[in-house]
Amino acid sequence: MSRNLVELVRRQHTVQAPTALQVLKAAMDARGEITDEDRRLAAEASGLPEAAVYGVSTFYDDLRAPRGRRHIRVCTGTACWAATADAHVDSVRDGLGLTLGERSEDGSVSLAETVCLGFCHSSPAIRDGDRIDAGPGAVERLLGGTTADAAEPEWISVLEEPVLTRPGDWSGLARALAELEPEQLLAEVKDANARGRGGAGFPAGQKWEFTRASPGEQKFIVANGDEGDPGSYIDKYLIERNPMLLLEGMALAGYAVGAEHGFVLVRSEYPHSKPILEAAAAQARELGWLGEDIAGSGFDFDVTVLEGGGSYVVGEETALLACVEGLRGTVSARPPFPAQKGLFGMPTVVNNTETLINVPFIARSGAPAYRDLSPGGSPGTKLICFNERFARPGVYEVRFGTSMRELCEDLAGGLIDGHEIKALQIGGPLGGILPASRLDVGFDFDALKAEGCMVGHGGIVAFDERTDIRALARHLLRFGAHESCGKCFPCRIGLTRAYEMFGAEQPVERARLEPLLETLELASLCAHGSGMPAPIRSLVAHFPDELGLI
Amino acid sequence: MQVTIDGNSVEVSSETTVLEAIRSLGGDVPTLCFDQRQAPFGACRVCLVGVEGAPGPIPACTTPCRDGMTIDTGDATARRVVKAVVELVLSELPDPPAEHTELAVVARGLGVGEPRWTGRRHEVRHDQRHPYLAFQHELCISCGRCVRACDEVQGAFALTATGRGFDANVAAGLDAGFRNSTCVSCGACADTCPTDAIIEITLLQMSDVP
Repeated sequence: MSRNLVELVRRQHTVQAPTALQVLKAAMDARGEITDEDRRLAAEASGLPEAAVYGVSTFYDDLRAPRGRRHIRVCTGTACWAATADAHVDSVRDGLGLTLGERSEDGSVSLAETVCLGFCHSSPAIRDGDRIDAGPGAVERLLGGTTADAAEPEWISVLEEPVLTRPGDWSGLARALAELEPEQLLAEVKDANARGRGGAGFPAGQKWEFTRASPGEQKFIVANGDEGDPGSYIDKYLIERNPMLLLEGMALAGYAVGAEHGFVLVRSEYPHSKPILEAAAAQARELGWLGEDIAGSGFDFDVTVLEGGGSYVVGEETALLACVEGLRGTVSARPPFPAQKGLFGMPTVVNNTETLINVPFIARSGAPAYRDLSPGGSPGTKLICFNERFARPGVYEVRFGTSMRELCEDLAGGLIDGHEIKALQIGGPLGGILPASRLDVGFDFDALKAEGCMVGHGGIVAFDERTDIRALARHLLRFGAHESCGKCFPCRIGLTRAYEMFGAEQPVERARLEPLLETLELASLCAHGSGMPAPIRSLVAHFPDELGLI
Repeated sequence: MQVTIDGNSVEVSSETTVLEAIRSLGGDVPTLCFDQRQAPFGACRVCLVGVEGAPGPIPACTTPCRDGMTIDTGDATARRVVKAVVELVLSELPDPPAEHTELAVVARGLGVGEPRWTGRRHEVRHDQRHPYLAFQHELCISCGRCVRACDEVQGAFALTATGRGFDANVAAGLDAGFRNSTCVSCGACADTCPTDAIIEITLLQMSDVP
């Protein structure tokens, strides 16, 4: 996007115009398709040029597939793939007589694919309108017209005193406002060495410090709730089950860096997240924890909740800000970093939602207590989740340093029906793949890195002994190519080429694969292109024969 | 501050990018998405260079100079990767780019031959509804120069990037051609296009002459 467009969007925001994305989403929800008239109206309402609105309308998944009166979205995420190898997709397609992205001629029904509905604990998952069904019988119920709401397992903390699953009560903000200057709170978060939970693991305190030090008329806090990792439903749980703690974390970030407003971007694939978070924000305003002069401190802070439009790369921080601004969710080169020039060109903290829910504990109990939560491991605790292949799938709060074997076998109960783990993908689609022989590695940033893996966002997807490794590579690269934002050349073209190599029937030549992976890793603009080779490299290292390499 | 480029030292200000520093010394690295009239974009990754101590090559156009930086424009890894990127770009076009285009010049300069990776190519789609400007969408490599020329240089906001991933392209207005957009026929887009995806009709006609 151009610098003039950002300035235009900033001015429109100051007059509280809706964003182009919001207007287009509403048009899609209302009429099931987007016409040029809708685009003209969106341009008028948002103040964006018509061309820019057209660009937005061709970017997001939610705006592209036409919808019938009954709109069905079948999950093609990695947990659902691990459960059925996409057999559920074929069944739904055949049962409805529609291809993915097609609407029936009479407009009664439409089918689209969606990457990850966050019901990875009971795959396969299917969304029928706003109702999500999952698990055995979901396909049959859908085709029989009796789609049901799937149940979600309770989340569990292994700690005697839970940190992240403990309902937010604003005690951290209360203490900070009463006892700590903003600089002291910032120092405390730095001292706690809380690392980002979204994937990159960047120290949160450092981001805050940069933002606080950057000059700007206004500053913003943006909570990244765009949990796009197929196989992860951690943010879904924390937003829908602990919204107060997230809002408290955002308010604390605002206090520390001098921001008076925050935005949360939640996923449209989780239809309940936005209403739940908005209700919590309304309640917080009634309680006096959001709004003006919070607790008589003179500190003002409020939060706006926005919903995305279906794009994985929007989880990258610069793309996230573009999405909040209602623009195409493409990545921008850094520098400038969001801490210098972020939302509407102003200094902005972008933190993952899970990073932010760590902050109230630090504010209330202090950095040393936070560092002691995981003895011998990274500071704090982590939410992880398991896919449907496990006997006890769900979201768990755990200590860093616990071995993957303990997590998979003791906590999640091993695999169901006597199946065995062939490999795990940890931390999302950009995470390496750990073969069963390496399960004794500790769940920690550095230990996993040494195995070519990562903590990432904490989703753990098991593939059982029947898994076709070449089909897995194809599945991962299909996702990678589909989700490339199209900004940088290596990712835009290279991921499609990699997918084509594994999609063809021929063996994959190492001599062509290696330089392609290197080019993606070293030349891509963001972690999507540079990270997608990681799982492929793991498969090459651990399962070369099954990949069909020559 | 001072930076060293291929063994030669140069004084630069803190706002200087690595690409500007290289060019100030009379050196060069290839670029595709860069146009000095526009803000750096960082999309093509063809200006990658080596920097001492960095974990991998860095894009010269979007990286600011740091005091004491040692830059190697001939870094073997950077050159290898850049060549691969240009091969990928050629692999998405239905036909090789015309010899006079910036893309063809860059490819020749790097000694890029037949792409090692092949597969889907852009679909041929022409739009000649405007009297002076024509789209050849299949030649678009999504460098964003036309969109930025329109927004940043002309201020007409008539163009946009479209689609995503491999299907990314460019459109005027609501993709109904230049005439049905806010285009003022200034030609800045055609002037900056490195592949002839947007071209002035007269030039197109001339190139049709055998």
